[in-house]
Amino acid sequence: MRLKRLVVGVLTIVVLSAVLGGAFHVSLVRRFFAGEFRDSFVDAGRYPGIIFITRSEVEDLLFRGQAVPVDSRTPDEYAAGHIPGALNVPLASSDQALADLAARYPPGQCLVVYCEGGDCQTSTALARLIHDRGFHDIRVYQGGWTDWASAGLPAEASK
Amino acid sequence: MIRNRWLLFVFRLVVGGVFIWAGALKAADPLGFAQTIKNYRAFPHDLVFIIAIVLPWVEVLSGAGLIAGVLKKSSALIAAVLLAGFIILVGSALLRGIDTACGCFGSVSRRADWGLMLMDAVLLLMAVNVFVAAGPKRPLASGRSTPL
Repeated sequence: MRLKRLVVGVLTIVVLSAVLGGAFHVSLVRRFFAGEFRDSFVDAGRYPGIIFITRSEVEDLLFRGQAVPVDSRTPDEYAAGHIPGALNVPLASSDQALADLAARYPPGQCLVVYCEGGDCQTSTALARLIHDRGFHDIRVYQGGWTDWASAGLPAEASK
Repeated sequence: MIRNRWLLFVFRLVVGGVFIWAGALKAADPLGFAQTIKNYRAFPHDLVFIIAIVLPWVEVLSGAGLIAGVLKKSSALIAAVLLAGFIILVGSALLRGIDTACGCFGSVSRRADWGLMLMDAVLLLMAVNVFVAAGPKRPLASGRSTPL
């Protein structure tokens, strides 16, 4: 009897939560089931300055000097190898690095944010934080460092 | 096991308060929370979205249940299971070398590190204590006060 009450209580809270979550975010749920947010959870309406790009676009931007690469990986990963000229803004300790970024570049500066690649997500999360700091031309390089290095493109190491 | 009713009440306030605060911040930005969950690389994409929509409200309701004393035992069980899950998730992220914000408090989250696991472990102990102590009310004839 006590176990039954316990289970009913848990189910009540979970079901009520699902109903409340669905009701409060009904537009998001609709957009999700309509096919939005399949690649990332960036709301294009809220973050219009974030664009996802491929390696060839990154190469164009960087080799023409039109963008600054931003590496969202850990300092150790960055030190082992990164895109030449990249700034290290580790997602987990980004406050000071973001303040430095904002002090160093104007809001219109094009930034290419990348992480390790594959299914890494810190570049997208960092792109949102950078956008919140006022930057409005942010490109997320989804292939990331793995894609860059495997293509044999120039690299820099800090160690 | 602590059975002092005032201490148990404090445990409920602490765990419940943290859960309500954490849940409300996450519910305010479900896509941001979804992105944080995805950073852990532990769940498939579609499941991440569902978790991001539902979990904040589970936290708010179980936190409210703990504080109000409504569905107290069920709320304590949910809190304990969630906290144990958070500890496992953060631990596995650290072992896999994933460096990310924890996502515990929406956009004001701290780093997912060992300190966070310790904080979660303390909250887990409180929640388990509340769960175990929240037994059936003692009969009034015993002459003893009922626990909160």
